Amino acid sequence: MKIIKTVYVLIPLNIFLALKWAPPVRGLGDLSRILFFHVPWAWVSLLAFLIAALYSLIYLFDKKNKFYSLEKKSYNSAFLGIIFTILTIVSGSCWAKLSWGSFWNWDPRETSIVVLLLIYIAYFSLLSSMPDSEKKHKIGAIYLILAIIIAPFFMFVIPRIYPSLHPDPIINSKKEIFLDNKIKITLAISIVSFTFLYFYLLELINKKKN
Amino acid sequence: MPEIIKNLKKDIKIEFRNRSALNLALAFALISTLTISLIIGGVPLEPKKEAIILWLIIFFSAISSLAYTFIREEEKKTILFLRLNFSAESVYFSKLIFNIFFFFIIQIIVAIFYVFFRQLEIQSLNLFILGLLGGGLALASTITILGAMVAKANGQSSLLAVISFPLLLPVLWMAVSSTTKSLTPNPFSSNPVFYNEIYFLLAFSGIMIAGSFIFFKFIWSSQ
Amino acid sequence: MSIKTENYTIQIDSISKKFEVAPLFHNLNFSLKTGQSLAVSGFNGSGKSTFLQIMALLQNPTQGKIIYQKEREVIPLEQIYKKIGFLSPLLNPYEELNSLENIDFILRPFYNKGDKETKIDEFLDRFGLFGYKKTLVKNLSSGTRQKLKIILATINNPPYLFLDEPGTNLDKKGKEDIFSYLDLIKKERIIVIASNDPEEINFCEEELTFGARDN
Repeated sequence: MKIIKTVYVLIPLNIFLALKWAPPVRGLGDLSRILFFHVPWAWVSLLAFLIAALYSLIYLFDKKNKFYSLEKKSYNSAFLGIIFTILTIVSGSCWAKLSWGSFWNWDPRETSIVVLLLIYIAYFSLLSSMPDSEKKHKIGAIYLILAIIIAPFFMFVIPRIYPSLHPDPIINSKKEIFLDNKIKITLAISIVSFTFLYFYLLELINKKKN
Repeated sequence: MPEIIKNLKKDIKIEFRNRSALNLALAFALISTLTISLIIGGVPLEPKKEAIILWLIIFFSAISSLAYTFIREEEKKTILFLRLNFSAESVYFSKLIFNIFFFFIIQIIVAIFYVFFRQLEIQSLNLFILGLLGGGLALASTITILGAMVAKANGQSSLLAVISFPLLLPVLWMAVSSTTKSLTPNPFSSNPVFYNEIYFLLAFSGIMIAGSFIFFKFIWSSQ
Repeated sequence: MSIKTENYTIQIDSISKKFEVAPLFHNLNFSLKTGQSLAVSGFNGSGKSTFLQIMALLQNPTQGKIIYQKEREVIPLEQIYKKIGFLSPLLNPYEELNSLENIDFILRPFYNKGDKETKIDEFLDRFGLFGYKKTLVKNLSSGTRQKLKIILATINNPPYLFLDEPGTNLDKKGKEDIFSYLDLIKKERIIVIASNDPEEINFCEEELTFGARDN
């Protein structure tokens, strides 16, 4: 996938834009630039999960054993996923401290990302309890798929259980952000560049382990 | 279909003759209910907190009691015996049905003891019971498939707790919510919206059972 | 006991198995048809049990496939398990049930109850287990348990019979009982026995030795 090589250009560009070119969020100072990393990292953690589940699904139903390497790719994707999830949580806590004065608030988005982390932890615990074998990969794959099937229920429940602990400062501040074009552009480029970075890293890990 | 009934009868017979799993499950449920009641002392708690504690006890009782259905087959090496004589579907459904009813029994006993020791006043008995049944169904259906997976892994119930907790979070949230409602005086109890959480729990159970049914055969035939 | 003999075949096609890196066996090719019997011998750990499990679809080969056919028609995978009788130390009946209950559990439906009971009694009697009908399996001696396992493997008249060390735990009389029964049904089954016992090997027409160079 040649287009992914653009990551060599995109990431440095992204860092420059985030740290120099775009203005900080009004009233929050330079540390608010963490937003340009937090948002794409959150997106990538979710993307990694989706792709891991998709690979798992194809692997399970592949009767002709054409895609036998997919189980490892699914694992690698989950590996990247958990790293980005942790990064998201840490950067999100910094943002929260900056914006609202406390590191953790149990609002819907924060809760959702923690649940994602729990799912990843459960997945890795499950895999580590089995020796490398056909059943290990099948069982890991099924767990991811069940988790994704259940995901819509989370989306329904979480906002109902953690409704308005805050007057939605994230959305408010996002509305505020979206007024500034430079920030919008930088954010868009961040999302794209980290998505590419994810695919690049995934390819790298896949090749290395083979 | 007759295969499912055969398997059910076999499981019931075995459980009846060697009641270790049932006894252990009941003992756990009773001990935890008693311990917690004693720790809290006579202090009455608000309905939400009572609901949370009740469902935590139920959740951990489920983990400890429902794991055995598959783990025991693996331990005693009867699993290959089953595989050569019955289809994956019939084994899955018989284990599922067994787990559901087994768990209902445990739940009812837990609930009775909890209500008694904590001296709870149930405002809406319908919702309370439906909440128990709905939550129990969701718990049982999830833990059945995850139990089958853990049985193939290392057979430890602590692993089962780790992997089932994230998936069961929505169930616990909704179950606690509906039980809280049933313990709180509420003028809207005749409104169908009152039972929203129950619909959710039933939908969850349905999806979980459907998903398990599709994927069980992969677990069943893996070595 | 006259049942219409149907022609079954099993075809082993380039089967290989390796655990992690070490290959267990490689590129096995042969086929058997109803009436034929094969002994699989080899030192402990040479892969005979694994091979038998692969044939019984309890494990997957690393490469290759097995084709089961009835009267030249391929039998679909989901239906094969019903046609296989398997005996192995890895496969146990339920300890909390007695012999009769275990047999009844796996016995395929019969037209009427009377026929079913007769058949069960016939098998129990043949292997000397009649007195243990109501004894819980956990209270049976290892030899008696082995005989029960043989009954469980054969009572549904499976066209394919794979036996891993059938003589384990059995005394001379026990082995005689078993092999006289197997002799009776030999013409109507495909029998594969994994064993190092010369008598058991001689019972079969062909022999395949594992652990030899060309495997």
